[in-house]
Formats: sequence, C-alpha cells, structure tokens
Amino acid sequence: MLDERKLAIDPVVPENVAHNTRIVTDIRSLTSSVCGIAAGILGLESYAGFVFYLVGSVFVSMLMLFLVADGKPGKYFQSGIDLWTTEVFGTSSVASFVLMWTLVYNLVRA
Amino acid sequence: MTEEASQMILRDPQLFYWILFPITIVMIVTGVLRHYATVLMQSDPQRQDLKAIREQRNLLRGVNVRSNHDQIPYQSFNARKTSLVAEFKRGAYLKDPDSVGKPAANPMTDPAGMDQMMNMMKGNMAMIIPQTLIMGWINAFFSGFVIMKLPFPLTIRFKSMLQSGVATRDLDVRWVSSLSWYFLNLFGLRSVFNFILGNDNSADQMAAQMQQMNPAGGAGMFGPGQDPNKMFLAEAENLEVVGGQHDWILHGVETRVLDLY
Repeated sequence: MLDERKLAIDPVVPENVAHNTRIVTDIRSLTSSVCGIAAGILGLESYAGFVFYLVGSVFVSMLMLFLVADGKPGKYFQSGIDLWTTEVFGTSSVASFVLMWTLVYNLVRA
Repeated sequence: MTEEASQMILRDPQLFYWILFPITIVMIVTGVLRHYATVLMQSDPQRQDLKAIREQRNLLRGVNVRSNHDQIPYQSFNARKTSLVAEFKRGAYLKDPDSVGKPAANPMTDPAGMDQMMNMMKGNMAMIIPQTLIMGWINAFFSGFVIMKLPFPLTIRFKSMLQSGVATRDLDVRWVSSLSWYFLNLFGLRSVFNFILGNDNSADQMAAQMQQMNPAGGAGMFGPGQDPNKMFLAEAENLEVVGGQHDWILHGVETRVLDLY
C-alpha cells in the first residue's frame, strides 16, 4: 500500500523509461563495435577478447555515469544497477562486438 | 600437445575484398530495401466511423479513471464513477446495440481484423524472402572453402554448421566458411540498422520474432474476437471495486513541500 502511494506521488512514466533505455542501448551498440575493432587490431584471442569487452563496457558505463547521467543515476533509472547492466549482454551489443572483432581480426592477421 | 598448436592456413588477401565485404554490403542494402518495402506495402489505417471510435475511447476513459483515481478529489471521482458505471451497464456507447448477445466477430469477415492479419503476413513475407534468397546465393557462389578464422573457439558440434562445404575431420572449428559470416552479419547488423533507419525499423528480425511471441500485445483490446459489451461490463465491475479506497494524492502535500526545504 505504501509503495502504491509512493508511485502515485512520483509516477514512473513508461515513455521516459523507454527513452532512457534506448539511449543507453544506442550508446552501447556503437561503443561495442568500436571495442570490437580495437580487440581485432590487438589480435586478442578467445577469453582475452571477451574480458576486453567487459572492461570496455564498464569503462563506457562510467563515462555514461559522469557525462550523460550527471552522476545521479537514481534520477534516470529505477534501480541503481540499471545503468551498468542494461544491454551489456543483450544481443545487439555483443553481436556487433563479435562481428567487428572477427572482421578486423581477419583483416589484420591476413 | 603438439596437435593443439594452431593450424595456420595462408590466405590470399583478395579473399576479403571479394567475399567478406560484398556479403556485408549486400546484407545492409537488402535490409534497407526490406525496410522501405515494408513501409510502402502497409495499407493505410482505415477511417473508423464515429460510433466505433466513441466505443473505444470511452472504454479507455473508464480504464484511465480507474488507474488514476488518486489524482482527483473524492467527490469528482465518485461523480465520474457513478455516471460511467451506469452508462456502461446500459450499453450507451456500444457501436452496434443489436449485437449484444451474438458471438464475437470472426476475424475473417470483420474488415478491421482482416487488415491487421494482412499486415502481419506481409511483414513476415518481407522478412523471409530476402533471407532465403541471400542464403541460396551464398550457398551457390561461396561454398566449398573456408574463408576466415574465428577469434574464439567453439565446440565440435558447430563444425557441421559452420564449415558447411568443407568435409575434413581435423580442421579446427575456428576456420569457418562464408555461411557463418552470413550468420554473424545477421545478428551483428541490427545495431547498424538502428543507426541508419532509426528505431522500430522493419529490417530488425529479432524484434519481429519477439513480437510474434507476444500475440496478446498486438491485437490489443479492440482486435477482432472481443465482445465490446462484455468488456464494458467488466470495466464497470472494476470501477465499482476500486471506488472503495480513495487516497487523495494531495493529502499531506503540505508536509511534503515543506520537507523539500
């Protein structure tokens, strides 16, 4: 009952939530392509490549926290963890990473 | 452990220019074409007559009053509630008062439902045909050789799928044929399409598949096969249930505003 009242006072507008998630997703897919190109140029193999992807997404999350969300994730997302975990393992960003990684890996290694 | 040493195959760099890039470019271009073809093929939404619109909008109004009942003072909410409940029970907004007892409209005969189904089918066709064509093209022209090395290892079971044309036993799973490049592109180009075509583009196969898995979301409340009178009566019951507790949101607002400062 108390939660419902709190929601009535500070409602969660679904359009805004969708907009925020879309921005995070867009940023992540673009940066994971760039991450894939970097991994390919460095010539990373299996585990090293995926670790590089995780490190890259953590770095991108920190950049998003300070540059886009102004250091206040609670204002834009429902839980504190959302900024760090949305779309990190979602299909579109991992797929772009793997695509670019494979492409550049093959181009560079010849 | 010497068999585990990585197998190197020297490849002509021209392989890349003639195979990798063309497949990617073809997939991007067909995706864009498919998106525009879908947009052009969809029929315009039909103009519905006044009574149909009135029926839909009033049902939505009942739902809105029920979900936002805290925002208005108790007397206004009560007044709205009693008038809406009386009207719903009376069937004042029904599009076709004679069809109260009849079964719901068959999607085959109802023109509005037919439209929705045709659109879905057109979308499906537009998705399936280019995929089949491109796969056939790749199998015809680019089969029988391995083209690249995956940076990460996979299990043996993938060998038959990814090395489709080459029938060797000892070749590492990491050497794959061009069909697997096609699959990689299929999944990886979604973000590229998001950038070129904006969101909700029709070249996105995954979103279309997920939509198919939620059939309830698409048809909505007014899809074919729903009986409007029953929905009105259900909404009237819901409104009566909700009217019991009312917690006006502006109670205690003075303390909240003072807390801010």
